[in-house]
Amino acid sequence: MSTPPETTRLPDPVATGTGQHGSESRATTQDRASGDAALLRVTGLRKTYRLGRVDVPVLHGVDIEFGRGEWIAILGASGSGKSTLLHLIGGLDRPDKPGNGKPRATIRFNARDVASFSHAELDRYRCRDVGFVFQFYHLLPELTVTDNVLLGAMIRHGRFGYMAKRADLRKAAADLLGAFGLKSRLRHKPSQLSGGERQRVAIARALINDPTLLLADEPTGNLDRKTGAAILDVLAEIRRERGQTMLMVTHDPEIAARADRIVELVDGRVVEASG
Amino acid sequence: MYHALLTRRYLTSKVMPLLASLAVVLCTAMVLITWSVMGGFLMNLTQAGRSLIGDVRIAWPSVGFPHYDDLIERLEADPEVAGAAPLIETFGMITLLENKTEGVLIRGVEGESFARVTTYADTLWWKPLAEPMKKDTEREDVRLEPTDHDLLERLYKDGLSLSEIDRETGQRESALVLGIEVGGWNMRTDWGGYYPRVQFINGSDGSSEVQNLFMPAGGELTVLVVPLDSRGRPMEARTAKLPVANEFESGLYDIDRKTVLMDLKALQRMLRMHEVKRAVRSGDEVSSPLDGFFEDAEPAPEREVVVAPARVTAVLVRQADSDDSSAMDLDAFREHCRAIYAEFAAAHPDVPDAGSIGVETWEDANRMMIEAVKKETGLVLIIFTFISITAVFLVFAIFWAMISEKTKDIGVLRALGASRMGVAWLWLRYGLAIGVVGSVGGGLLAWAIVTNINEIHEGIAASGAWLGQTLTGVPWNWYIWDPKVYVFKEIPHSIEPWKAATVLIFGLLSCLFGALVPAARAARMHPVKALRFE
Ligand SMILES: Nc1ncnc2c1ncn2[C@@H]1O[C@H](COP(=O)(O)OP(=O)(O)O)[C@@H](O)[C@H]1O
Ligand SMILES: [Mg+2]
Repeated sequence: MSTPPETTRLPDPVATGTGQHGSESRATTQDRASGDAALLRVTGLRKTYRLGRVDVPVLHGVDIEFGRGEWIAILGASGSGKSTLLHLIGGLDRPDKPGNGKPRATIRFNARDVASFSHAELDRYRCRDVGFVFQFYHLLPELTVTDNVLLGAMIRHGRFGYMAKRADLRKAAADLLGAFGLKSRLRHKPSQLSGGERQRVAIARALINDPTLLLADEPTGNLDRKTGAAILDVLAEIRRERGQTMLMVTHDPEIAARADRIVELVDGRVVEASG
Repeated sequence: MYHALLTRRYLTSKVMPLLASLAVVLCTAMVLITWSVMGGFLMNLTQAGRSLIGDVRIAWPSVGFPHYDDLIERLEADPEVAGAAPLIETFGMITLLENKTEGVLIRGVEGESFARVTTYADTLWWKPLAEPMKKDTEREDVRLEPTDHDLLERLYKDGLSLSEIDRETGQRESALVLGIEVGGWNMRTDWGGYYPRVQFINGSDGSSEVQNLFMPAGGELTVLVVPLDSRGRPMEARTAKLPVANEFESGLYDIDRKTVLMDLKALQRMLRMHEVKRAVRSGDEVSSPLDGFFEDAEPAPEREVVVAPARVTAVLVRQADSDDSSAMDLDAFREHCRAIYAEFAAAHPDVPDAGSIGVETWEDANRMMIEAVKKETGLVLIIFTFISITAVFLVFAIFWAMISEKTKDIGVLRALGASRMGVAWLWLRYGLAIGVVGSVGGGLLAWAIVTNINEIHEGIAASGAWLGQTLTGVPWNWYIWDPKVYVFKEIPHSIEPWKAATVLIFGLLSCLFGALVPAARAARMHPVKALRFE
């Protein structure tokens, strides 16, 4: 997939301070495919749900590794555990505890193990290192487009920090939304936007804290083909402009084809599909 | 920061939280109005009970005790005491117009000292008035008549001295001051005042004469009392015919209906408690069953004359006003008075000792009423509890529903990095916001209603009268607190700041409390489950 020449430049969100876990540091493990330092390395990831007294194993030991700046698509049938995997990587859920001969799962992110993070560390990780984009946008209906985008920044900086950076952050949000063609919609409520516009707001929200990793769970799943393609264009642009590492989940091979690399989730394990 | 933003947005874009705030407004206002008005009424009642007692009463009922002048002197020498007044309390009968005789409490007082120790002067009804009473919008009060000013001024002075000038002899003689409801010749008006009744007398020639039943303007009543001997046994009843100098209104119906004030000296004479010179056989005990009847006894050369000092049944004491906080509380003042009495008793062998004399505060004397006030406080507490529980449940139910509705939002916030505490605080803060809006709104509503309660009351009564007149031809009485009914002359219309503060804090805490469990539920929500929630 070739990169088209110069298009609109995406603005950089406000400098994010020093708190980020070593965004400059290099991971130690080497990526098999590219030889680049791996940003994320998942080994032996298992997740079992309990339905009453029955154990429902969903992930049976997922091993996956990808490098900084990669766009990976995870392809899998509905119910194969794609969302589960994304939630675990994003620190929204925890993998199974080791035991019964099963080894401990690790989710190495920049050489730190997300799987052994404390609650506070997980909150911080989700806030600064990860940006989520959901299939159903999940915008807060009471907030304006701008406030929705700023939500992550408010959570990150706290009351006084946010007040201090308020003007800069508002400008950053406006620039992001402007780059996504939503300049005239800043004060609108989500209910006044179309599906494609809502998803673009959600992507802007995920990017406000300049995360290392963007996690998108079927970002086009709720949109028609044409609108979905436009969203993929937006993602491609982000990828090109910012070198953003992106993990995108989809059940549609055609959509997965837009990514650099496709891995398939089959029977709770990852199968490399293409390079 | 997101807390403030979301609280504001949730609060202004949803109907439910507005309803919750409104409910808290109504609860808060209701409690505050009830407490202020009810507390005000009861406060009026207790103050009325105090008006003719003073602060402390030193009493030895029935027989009374002598040398009270010395006791009063000792009391008044004390810097804690503002004044002291002698008093006799006894039961007797009074024959009113149309030979209606009734049992009454007769109190013998010295006008001057009594007015110094109690608020007697204020309770005297017939006196010139410059401004009408609050509800007397038509200025119907006869006391406002400029032409009667001199008469009323004279009546007021007569009332203060419990005497009046006899029309025939021109001498000042003792007179009665009746509770305003005793005589039955005054009509209580709609505005809570009194109007003398008039009587139409038809002459034999067909003419008709209007006669005023205004007693203080002339006429005498018969008073009957039973003196006791020094051992407390009743002697022959005594009667006296006395004019009426004035009437008093203490504000307590029972007192105003059943109390007659009389000049102390006159009552002492009737009760044989005045100073008498007695002849006793030397060596005899001073008291004998025939005490007071020595005039009838045969004079004997070996008898000598001794003076039996005048007696009273009580001394009323008023505490010195003091604006510094070091002032004694009422109970301490009572014990202080008891100590002064003890010194007095030590100097006089013929008075009851300090251990047996009755020394009580006006609060002790009005125990029944004070107890009622205390019960009222308890009642308010119960109402508080119930209304608070209602508010707690209201907020709880609304928050529970809102958190179910906002599950996705909670999931999103967690995905964006909000902590559990952050989410809990969001809802607690939200509860607090509803509490602040609700209780401040309720406080303002209560203030607006209570400060205008008399006008609102009049408005309700007027609309009732109008509606009744139009619908049935007879005006309806929609007075909730009819000034014709005794205590309700004026509705208390002030809110004490500490009551307002208490109610506001209660309202706030209720909301916070109601939000507590839903907030905990929101905090414990698993972010993935919240996001997957349909
Ligand atoms: N909380 C849960 N309890 C039980 N089963 C669950 C739960 N969440 C997901 N599952 C099951 O796990 C499987 C994987 O779900 P999911 O990760 O959403 O799949 P995908 O995103 O690939 O469609 C599904 O079969 C689903 O029913
Ligand atoms: Mg899914």
